[in-house]
Amino acid sequence: MNTTYVPADYLPILIQMGLALGFIVTTMLVTHAIGPKRHSVKKDDPFECGIPVQGDARTPISIKYFLIAILFVLFDVEVIFLYPWAVNFKGLGMTGFIEMVLFMGLLLAGFFYIIRKGVLKWE
Amino acid sequence: MFPIVLLSVFAVVLLFLGFLKSRSVLLPATLLFLVAALVANFLDWNKTYLYFNSMLRTDNLSMVFTAIVLLSSFLVVALSGSFEDDEAAQPAEYYAIILFSLVGAIMMIGYENLVMLFVGVEILSVAMYILTGSDKRNLRSNEAALKYFLMGAFATGIMLFGMALLYGASGSFTLAGIASYASHAQQGLSLIFYVGLLMLLVGLLFKVSAAPFHFWTPDVYDGAPTIFTAYMSTVVKTAGFAALLHLLAASFTYVYSFWGIILAVVTAITLIAGNVTAVYQNSFKRMMAYSSISHAGYLLIGLAALSAQSRQAIVFYSLAYSIATISAFGVLMLVTRQRGMQTLSSNPLSNESFDAFNGLAKQNPLLGLAMATSMLSLAGIPLTAGFWGKFYMFSTAVERGQIWLLVVAVLMSAVGIYYYFRVIIAMYFRDGATEPIRISPVFRYVLVAAIILTIGLGVAPGLLQGLF
Repeated sequence: MNTTYVPADYLPILIQMGLALGFIVTTMLVTHAIGPKRHSVKKDDPFECGIPVQGDARTPISIKYFLIAILFVLFDVEVIFLYPWAVNFKGLGMTGFIEMVLFMGLLLAGFFYIIRKGVLKWE
Repeated sequence: MFPIVLLSVFAVVLLFLGFLKSRSVLLPATLLFLVAALVANFLDWNKTYLYFNSMLRTDNLSMVFTAIVLLSSFLVVALSGSFEDDEAAQPAEYYAIILFSLVGAIMMIGYENLVMLFVGVEILSVAMYILTGSDKRNLRSNEAALKYFLMGAFATGIMLFGMALLYGASGSFTLAGIASYASHAQQGLSLIFYVGLLMLLVGLLFKVSAAPFHFWTPDVYDGAPTIFTAYMSTVVKTAGFAALLHLLAASFTYVYSFWGIILAVVTAITLIAGNVTAVYQNSFKRMMAYSSISHAGYLLIGLAALSAQSRQAIVFYSLAYSIATISAFGVLMLVTRQRGMQTLSSNPLSNESFDAFNGLAKQNPLLGLAMATSMLSLAGIPLTAGFWGKFYMFSTAVERGQIWLLVVAVLMSAVGIYYYFRVIIAMYFRDGATEPIRISPVFRYVLVAAIILTIGLGVAPGLLQGLF
């Protein structure tokens, strides 16, 4: 069996792609051209799961949500570092312990800072 | 290395000092911290060390650059007393962010690994985005911060892509590894290597606001609070040029024939764009923004030539430029505040124009002298530090034989004299209703120190020679 191919051997695939694309484009153009057009308020509305559209999506949201979300991401990601440390606790020894204490100390300093700043006060 | 650890700890301490009732302790504490970092910086003097698994390096050159950055921020912080009166200001956070950003700047100065360069650039940039937008009630400040953030984030992305390509080509993130790959330039290097170098250069040139990547500079410098404009235009620029110098000198000397001409063209464009556009400005602050672009151009001359003198030239020029810029912005702050109180108009545009300086020198000789000295130094008139800065820069270009670049640079410094002297003429020869401005003692010391340093380095430029 022939195992070497030249680019010309792929011509049928190209033709098929062209046909498929051409069919889609032609169908869309033809339906737009010959189909009937009936406009109404309901029909021209953007479709939203069948529920009537309500106002603008760009309403102001309290900044507190963003703050909480960002703080969650920060502390969540930093707590992830505890897992590899726990797995390698014996291997890392005293050096690892001191480094983690430093890390957790900084983390807690940050936590204390946001509490004192009143970021977590919801009222 | 010691300053990095000290400044990180001090910044956290400052955040907590902010909970005290009295705000007056913050400024002296910050100044004290900066002095402590400056002293600790010189502990390794005359020794070369590698820290953190060869991630960072300290040698005399990096220590001198660190000292310039710390000195600039000391002067800027000393001028920032007005936060105490401003109810909406958050001085503890501002000072803490400044200290954190200095950590980034020192990393950019002493990196030995591209990863550290990236981390340093990001620490410095993110801090700058925040400080630019720190005047939350001012729409121009908000606009500046958003513009700076979007364009800066994009530039950082390009820079990171460049680093990835360099890694792909050379298989190493360390400067030594990349240099050893580049030393095989005769056998032909992979195309990826050159593309990576170009993208890395684009990212760093954006940070030092070299043309054609300078379009953010006027809006950002104009919109940011003046005190932070002074910080940005000195510390960020010094750190950026230290990073570029170290990168090119340590890793890419073998491919100088590739990037030398590119940097020379960028230098010429930067000089022309910065100087010619500065002529047309009516606002002093905007003029200073374009002037900072043009000074990036002068500093680039030393990089494009990269001769034996370049290190010394760049160190001297950044020091002269930083001192002159800080004292100019200091005077601008006083004048703007005075005009704001007099006319009761909060329109900053008229308070920052050249006309605001009319007749300033008659009633306020010290302010006039400080401003005149820094303008002369920026213009490069003899007997000021700026003259020797330009002299060293131009002699690097001569050494490399880039005469056409030298001609452009000399022509453009002639253009520079025009707009710097507009301020001096306004202060000394125009009439204006300027009353005596009350200057706080700290302000006075900083201005006098800036005058002495500028003229002292202008009379005896050899003071810094042979240090490193």
